[in-house]
Amino acid sequence: MANKGQQNAQVFDTDDPDRIQDIGWTAREVWRRTRGFVVTSINIITFFILWELLTIYGNINPLFLPKASDMFMELWVGLTTRAPEGAVFSGSILDHFLHSFNNLMFGLGIAILIGVPGGLLMGGNKYIEAILSPYVWALASLPRIALVPLFILFLGFTTTMQVTIIVISAVFPIMINAWAGVKTTEKSLLAAARVFGANRRQLYVKVVLPYTLPFIISGIQQGIGRGLIGVVIAELFGGSNGLGYLIQRSADTFNTAMNFAVLLLLIVMSLSLINFTRWLEAYVAPWRSANHL
Amino acid sequence: MSLNNEPIIVAKDLTISYELHRERKKLTALQDINLEVKAGEFVVLVGPSGCGKTSFINAISGLVPKETGSVTVRGEEVTGPGPDRAMVFQDYALLPWRTVESNVRMPFEFQDLGVSEAEKKKRVQECLELVDLDGFEKSFPYELSGGMKQRVGIARALITHPDILLADEPFAAIDAMTREAMQAEMERIVMETGQTCVFITHSIDEAILLGDRVVVISYRPGKVKEIVDINFPRPRMSNSEVKTSREYAQIRDHIWKLVKDEASQTNRGE
Repeated sequence: MANKGQQNAQVFDTDDPDRIQDIGWTAREVWRRTRGFVVTSINIITFFILWELLTIYGNINPLFLPKASDMFMELWVGLTTRAPEGAVFSGSILDHFLHSFNNLMFGLGIAILIGVPGGLLMGGNKYIEAILSPYVWALASLPRIALVPLFILFLGFTTTMQVTIIVISAVFPIMINAWAGVKTTEKSLLAAARVFGANRRQLYVKVVLPYTLPFIISGIQQGIGRGLIGVVIAELFGGSNGLGYLIQRSADTFNTAMNFAVLLLLIVMSLSLINFTRWLEAYVAPWRSANHL
Repeated sequence: MSLNNEPIIVAKDLTISYELHRERKKLTALQDINLEVKAGEFVVLVGPSGCGKTSFINAISGLVPKETGSVTVRGEEVTGPGPDRAMVFQDYALLPWRTVESNVRMPFEFQDLGVSEAEKKKRVQECLELVDLDGFEKSFPYELSGGMKQRVGIARALITHPDILLADEPFAAIDAMTREAMQAEMERIVMETGQTCVFITHSIDEAILLGDRVVVISYRPGKVKEIVDINFPRPRMSNSEVKTSREYAQIRDHIWKLVKDEASQTNRGE
């Protein structure tokens, strides 16, 4: 409720000296705003210190749990070195990361290009919806990992195969969200637009599309999560590069520190991308987050 | 106000029905409605929930097709929405991604009314001033309170200078204090612009304070049960004698009984 007061306060005339008063900063207020960040930082640092102490004094086989510092070292070295030109295999995390990241972005791009228009068409036309929806639901409900052997059969152990798996993983959340966005467009907004003279095309362009945009972004957010699974699966099963491959290889060569380093990198990558889309959603559709501040 | 002009809205034997999708049945929302609204008149519709008041207003706006009978505006049959009729919605229906200014301007964007850019700008300013929202052009609806949102809705409806203002329970979602202020504002705006207004409400007080005539509609199928003329001088909202007068109490009691009869039918289920 306190937030609601702030919300209303911003719209008042800020030039009016009686309405807005400078209340200054108190230590308490600074803490209230930074405590989330501070607590999380301390929490994570403590976690890694405990991990480090456990592996030093706990008599734990480093094959199962490497030292946290070893993991960070692997990560640092892996991200700052690259394979020499013409190398058959790269041990550099950066090389594999770039391969995976580029594949993910490329796959997501294609998934968006297919998913958004597909979802919009399905939401906008009953016949297209009736024709496409059984296939969409069938493929969306099929565990995508089951398709991997088939794609390897079709496309071999290639980057194309890896990207295809990412696309098939990410496209359905995007499509289904866009579809749902069109379907749930508020009736009163459509009625208002019609009363004020909108034709069919204007209804779509000026009401349905902007209304659907935040849905599309949350579809992309889900698509990123699914796409990342697709990346790792595709590389685990068939490929000689990418983070998925590196996970497999580091385990095969008993380099547990490297394995943990890659897992950490995947976590950071996934969280960064998802937070970016959260920010994007809040940026393009501030009215949605304003309701549950 | 020019009450003695000829009727601007004429509903003749108007019947509207809906298909109940699951049961393959038809629900008659309104049956054989006959009503004439004169230019500059403020007509308020009251009646129990589900009696078809909204259907009537939607038939005038052109959002809902009629089954039989006719609705004409200035002698022309209503076949769809038009710039001569504007509407204020219960849930405001503002586009949340647009600023106040852009929302108010919306009717110009959807239809070419041959209004120059300078004139559009001027009208946006005029309408925002009329509803007391100048200075809020760049605010977004989610930054505004309910009453302010509805004032944006009213400004948007007035921007094209429509002949007819339709309002579907515009103040139902607004708190009691703000609501009274909004009613006063509505009365002032309609007095200033000389607009014809068809207004739906559940509040009998609101109906008596705003309406030149109050039309009581019966419950399913909706028919005109009685039309009550209200002759208090305007402005009524700022005049405390209106609300405390004997006549007011009598009219209020009379309409309340009419509505209550109908509402009790709603309670029987159906």
